[in-house]
Amino acid sequence: MENKIFKMLMLGMFVLFAFQSFAQMQVSGTVQDDTGESLPGVSIQIKGTTQGVVTDMDGQYSINVPNDQAILVFSFVGMETQEVDVNGRTVINVQMAPSTIGVDEVVVTALGISREKRSLGYSVGEVEGEALQRVAQDNVLNSLSGKVPGLTINQTGIAGSTVSVVIRGANSLTTDNQPLFVIDGVPVANKLNNISMMGSDNQIDYGNTISDLNSDDIAEITVLKGPSAAALYGTRAGNGVILITTKSGKGAREMGVTISSNTRFEVATELLKLHYKYANGERNHVLTEGSAYWGGPNLDAGIIAPQWGLDEPAELRSYPNNMRDFLNTGVTTSNNIAVFNGSDRGNFRISYNNMSMQGMIPNHDRFNHSLKTNLSYNIFDDLTFTSNVTIANTYSNDIPSTGDRRNNPLEAVYVNSHIPISRMKDYWLPGQEGIQQKALPDYDNPYFIAYGMSNAFSRDRVFGNVALTYEFTKDLSVTGRYSLDRFKEERETKIPFSAYRMEKGNYSLQNIFFQEYNADVLATWKNTTDNLDINISAGGNIMKRQGSESFVGSGGDRNNGLVIPGIYNLGNIPLDNITVNSSLFRKAIYSVYGLASIGFRNIVYLDLTGRNDWSSTLPESHRSYFYPSASVSWLVNNTFELPEAFSLFKLRGGWAKVGNDTDPYRLQTTLATGTWNSLVTEAVPGVLLNSDLKPEESTSIEGGFDLNLYTNRVRLSATYYKEDNVNQIFSVPLPLSSGYSSKLINAGLIRSEGWELTVGGTPVDVPDGLRWDVDFNFSQNHTTVVELTDDLEFVQIWSENAGAWSFIGDQIGDIYTYGIAQVQDPNSPYYRYPILGNDGQWIRLNQQEDWEKVGNFNPDLLVGMQTAVSYKRWNLSASLDWRIGGEFVSYTYRYGESDWKSQRQLDQLIPGGLMSPQELVDYLKSDPENNIIPRNGKFPRVGGHTQETGGMRLPDGYYDGAFIPGVIQVAGADTPDDFSDDQFVENLGGPGTVLAPITDTYPWSYNRNVTFDASFIKLRELSLSYSLPDIGVIKNASVAIYTGNLMLWTKAKIGIDPERAFQANSGTQGNTVSQFKQGFERQNVMPWTASGGIRLNFSF
Amino acid sequence: MNTIKYYKIIMISMLAFGIMSSCEDLTDLNRNPNAIEPEDANVNLLMPSVLGPAAANYLSLGLDNMAGAMQFIHVSGWGDATNYFDWDERGWEGYYSILRTNELMIEIARRDGYPFHEGVGLTMRAFLFGQIADYWGDAPYSEALQAFTGEMENLYPAYDTQEQIYNGVIEDLKAAAALFATGDNTNINNNVDLYYGGDMANWEKFANSLLIRYYVRISEKNPGVRNEVEAIVASGKFISSAAENATMDYTGGPNDQWPFIYTDETSSTRYMAASTMIEQLDSTNDPRLHVWYAPVTIRWVPDNSISGSTAPTRMLVNGVETDILPNWIDYQGRTETFTKLYNPNDTTFDDDEFVGVPPGMRMSDIHTYNGAYNGAQGRFNHHVSTLHPQFMDGEPTEGDLLQARLLSAAEMHFTLAELALKGWNVGGTAEEHYMAGIQNSLTTWGVGDQFQTFYPNVAFDGTLEQIMTQKWVASFSNATEAWLDYRRTGFPELTLRTDVARAPVPALRFGYGSDELNNNTENVNAAIERLETTQYSGPLGKNSVYSKPWLLQGTNNPW
Repeated sequence: MENKIFKMLMLGMFVLFAFQSFAQMQVSGTVQDDTGESLPGVSIQIKGTTQGVVTDMDGQYSINVPNDQAILVFSFVGMETQEVDVNGRTVINVQMAPSTIGVDEVVVTALGISREKRSLGYSVGEVEGEALQRVAQDNVLNSLSGKVPGLTINQTGIAGSTVSVVIRGANSLTTDNQPLFVIDGVPVANKLNNISMMGSDNQIDYGNTISDLNSDDIAEITVLKGPSAAALYGTRAGNGVILITTKSGKGAREMGVTISSNTRFEVATELLKLHYKYANGERNHVLTEGSAYWGGPNLDAGIIAPQWGLDEPAELRSYPNNMRDFLNTGVTTSNNIAVFNGSDRGNFRISYNNMSMQGMIPNHDRFNHSLKTNLSYNIFDDLTFTSNVTIANTYSNDIPSTGDRRNNPLEAVYVNSHIPISRMKDYWLPGQEGIQQKALPDYDNPYFIAYGMSNAFSRDRVFGNVALTYEFTKDLSVTGRYSLDRFKEERETKIPFSAYRMEKGNYSLQNIFFQEYNADVLATWKNTTDNLDINISAGGNIMKRQGSESFVGSGGDRNNGLVIPGIYNLGNIPLDNITVNSSLFRKAIYSVYGLASIGFRNIVYLDLTGRNDWSSTLPESHRSYFYPSASVSWLVNNTFELPEAFSLFKLRGGWAKVGNDTDPYRLQTTLATGTWNSLVTEAVPGVLLNSDLKPEESTSIEGGFDLNLYTNRVRLSATYYKEDNVNQIFSVPLPLSSGYSSKLINAGLIRSEGWELTVGGTPVDVPDGLRWDVDFNFSQNHTTVVELTDDLEFVQIWSENAGAWSFIGDQIGDIYTYGIAQVQDPNSPYYRYPILGNDGQWIRLNQQEDWEKVGNFNPDLLVGMQTAVSYKRWNLSASLDWRIGGEFVSYTYRYGESDWKSQRQLDQLIPGGLMSPQELVDYLKSDPENNIIPRNGKFPRVGGHTQETGGMRLPDGYYDGAFIPGVIQVAGADTPDDFSDDQFVENLGGPGTVLAPITDTYPWSYNRNVTFDASFIKLRELSLSYSLPDIGVIKNASVAIYTGNLMLWTKAKIGIDPERAFQANSGTQGNTVSQFKQGFERQNVMPWTASGGIRLNFSF
Repeated sequence: MNTIKYYKIIMISMLAFGIMSSCEDLTDLNRNPNAIEPEDANVNLLMPSVLGPAAANYLSLGLDNMAGAMQFIHVSGWGDATNYFDWDERGWEGYYSILRTNELMIEIARRDGYPFHEGVGLTMRAFLFGQIADYWGDAPYSEALQAFTGEMENLYPAYDTQEQIYNGVIEDLKAAAALFATGDNTNINNNVDLYYGGDMANWEKFANSLLIRYYVRISEKNPGVRNEVEAIVASGKFISSAAENATMDYTGGPNDQWPFIYTDETSSTRYMAASTMIEQLDSTNDPRLHVWYAPVTIRWVPDNSISGSTAPTRMLVNGVETDILPNWIDYQGRTETFTKLYNPNDTTFDDDEFVGVPPGMRMSDIHTYNGAYNGAQGRFNHHVSTLHPQFMDGEPTEGDLLQARLLSAAEMHFTLAELALKGWNVGGTAEEHYMAGIQNSLTTWGVGDQFQTFYPNVAFDGTLEQIMTQKWVASFSNATEAWLDYRRTGFPELTLRTDVARAPVPALRFGYGSDELNNNTENVNAAIERLETTQYSGPLGKNSVYSKPWLLQGTNNPW
């Protein structure tokens, strides 16, 4: 029966694999540790060959040896390696002893070379697969959060959206700062700019392509943080490398199956803090449905009014739960089944995964199916074939737009304070289904956006490699490998008639094709003597990348999208309004490289690497560039007699240089084509390219130490690094009068500097009892613009009311706001009071010299904590993130508060109408810092919406008046440097104060009012698991329950997750190549969510 | 054993062959397959990229911001630039980015010997730089558009004075007129000439008419231009009839949209009538009123029998009395005539068929102006007129009025009337040109047959003010010219409330854009230093939109 199941599984996965064996002489036995427990997974190799086997679950093995004089090498992580002469025996039982020199951990490094961790002269981060699988995620990158020091993970918004990983801070203006992802030796595409706009204002974030990989297949992730570690990968590794090793059948001795299932639920916890006190309208005495403002009549006060969607007038009531009522419980499930087996000639693993996600926003979903095979086979004793192939399909029927205004269902939910969301649920007007939605004018019905509009995509992906390794001698082997990553993605957007921005709907199709292949050869020579351990590798790589994109859809006349409602077909787009375009690109890099690693008596290890690239994207004269690296690891505890407590004391240091090329077709400006009515046109684009580009170059140093005490009960590791990026290729802004908006140049020196610290320990470790591990990691990074070109003093990261600009000498990430006219004379009684215009409003100063810095979007310090407590079969683990410092700008609050929706703004109002004019003037002057002078998060205003709440009486007799405290300059404005002739009149509530309806007093042009502290603490994961005893054929079963991403605290207290201050756009920002505005969010109004789930796995 | 060896060799060579066979030439790989190299550009494909956007931008300004400044319209939302002269930071990408392509067209036309294309290029260079000088004053000119040379100093061009730019504009126009006069239209494709369909004689008239426009513009500073103007007028080669107007039709293609389309009834009414123009047209019974504006949706009807309340509760739907429909949404899409009754003794409403909002009013007051109950940002106010729906629906049809108007016979005749009044010799009396101006404008707007009945209402009284007033009226949809005339002559006398506007008069210039302030700081600051503050400049000083550029310095114009 069991066999039948196996066979069916195998057939179902379209795989047949035969094993053969050549019996000469068989040796078998059991391997145990020093306590007598059997040890599974111990590697047994015939010395001088690559033949080997691994012990099974019961610690048993069986191996064919060529003759009775063979030597078997038994090795296991953390154990002393043993060599045993066969001497004609057929049964050999072995007891392994723990290794005395600390951890002999093996990590995968560049080019897939496995190394002992202690021999590395640079810092690497490691995450075990198990840690990634604990919580079901729609993108495996989310599981890395907080687990590796120096790693910053950001997600733009809802589940499935793009996740950014930045290692040691963004240090390039020219790339998206994403690391290179290498899965089993295959570099795979993963980038940030996955946003496209299909239809008017319909910006959709389709998410990263790395999400095609399922975390259940991952055995281990290694993060190569700095160029020292990554130099061998060259060009693309400037931002570090994330090496992913997937699970294989290695070590299996019999057919095994593992099954796991993980289900996660997600619910809203905290919403935006809005007031729900007033209905829609600009004035307290007028209900204006569809007005963006929440400044209308009082709610829940017994006011009867005719209302949208009702036949009869009814009481105006508040509906603060609209968002909760609109959202569903999100459900993500992932299932994995894997079959594996192995013998001394080879092994395989085949797995099938699926992930399905139903988002919290109605109709939002995402699915992933993937099939993965790992094969390894010794065709001949000296020739091994290996292959890993993943075939995946990822798709969604609808991804809502959430990071901006318009077409955002969540924004639409927050439009009204007095209409229950349930009244909107049937979103078509009766009798006009498919033609006319039921909505307030100027807005879309949120259900219409969620269910009526759809943004679907489907991506078919294949990545994998085939390789042959030939061993000339036991010391010299050559591997040839061919790897491929290819995907095809189709995006389809359907928008029905009557959409606010597209009254005749829209239909758009986008096709994306991407392919990269790498062909490489690597020869490795090893030589071990008593004193020296030498490893030399040399090889070459041919990388080719090509891609294409095409778009067909409704054109620029956004109100002429389709002819017949409800028919989504290219033939249904009016001929005079169909937009078609396509583009393709190709790029190649040829490389040769070499690596030498020399170890001296387990004391000192020296690594040297060198690589030369030839890139197609650079001009012939600068096409070839070489870059070397060197690193040293010194094991102090093996050099000197240290107290016994020192398990490991290692000092390490490295220096590396990495070259970088650029995108294709950036050498010569070419003309863009377009259309004007029915004519095809040509125009000169505004970006001036550069035919003399040189490769970028980054030089880094890093140093640090690792210290383990008391057989790893105490762990300490620290790293300092500095990286200089010179000759960056980026576009500098030009004044348009030069004819161009920007020019591509090679310039600058951008410097990143920082440190990482991990401190951990195992305070409790009772054998067969309680064990408690806790690890903290800390990291800090500063990236500074040290130099630009002669004429350039800054680069623009993004601009909004000034925005994020980096000036020479300053840290990247500074956020500025437009200046505000304020009294400059320190001797004036009104010093620093705002100078108002005759209209009683602030006066904006837009020249750069008047801008004010309001913050920086980078954190001051990142802290992560992982802890685990295990007791017998129970395990409790938690992962916590703490971000300290940094600021973000919330345009959700800018729009929300200019519409007077936030509770915060009401709380800040000074109820001037409740005081006499003189009392008011005295009150304001008594504490100008708090009552008059604008600061981050607060621009004082006096008044209220009603007489009771302190509104001022306006000339029309209503009491919803307000004013901005300050002064109006009546003389001396024409001589800004001479204060002596300045004259001001007070606008502080006394006679002549300029009043306006309260809804007209908003500091729209000043980011200062909506700049908040970005500090937060998040409980990423909390999980409790129980390992079940084996029941019959069921083995290794465990059950876990967990919660994910619990937001515990934010400093800003405005109901916005500071991590989402990372707005996605369909165009690139400022002088960068990024589609993201870091430290900025706009209508990213998804509530905070909490998730909980359950995970089951077992094998048989 | 031998077989095994062969297998190995076969397998290894498979791999090796696969790897080695993939080398390609790297330079070839980096040749962009998606675009055209500049030296291969086609002048006929470049021309629409210049003419189209240049006309579209001129229209946008003339029917929106400048129409607000000259009190044709006011907007009911997002109106800082239209209603309140928030012109402090105006980018000029719509000018220099077109000029960038235009320079290439001129270069290739010269290289390959296409006088027509070169003439169009020079005319458009003058048209665009002329506007830059008009709106901003000093600007990069002789050093502009040179970044492609790659020289660092060309990336940050110095500013020429407004005077130097005007001189250059005049030189370009003269050269263009001379090229058009040759009649050599080698290589022209009539379709790409979006203005005149390849008619070179009309282009010559356009270039000459622009010359007249700019001579007159600088005449206060340089009275010596009189001879030049008189010579052109004597040649007869200028735009003198509506058929020769420099216009561009809209066809409604994906990039060729009438710029004022708004999706629904609510947002289209962002364009409300301003009271100044409504009163002007009403008071002279001008037939263009019905062409340009729509009557109010709900008209007030005085009824003395209603009393005791200022808030009317009864209304007439097609003359039948009924309760007031409570929600403005209820009026949407209905064709009945709505009126509301009110008692003029209790309250004051404007009960005319056409009602405009007074300029400069606070936005929230605009929303509720004239008794509108439920106004909001961008919202329909039923008691105020809007632009005529044809200018907001933007559905182009053959022979419709949806055109960008760059220069018209009406403008020319009013200009000549002004010059005749000054005693210049311009081939006719002031009155003749004044009448021709009105006649051509009425013809343009499809009401030419009503000239005889209308003219007596505005019969010439011999004053400059009257000429300038009628010229202003005739500038509907290209109000920029009216604004420039206002600056030069002070007519028509316009005032506005200062609820929100910073000053009681229209502003005089655009402030330099952030792009120049940030990226060309030194040069733009030198230009700002050359501005002259006025009593309305305020805390922004010289860079205020109320400061005077060279053209107005030392004059008392407009105040």
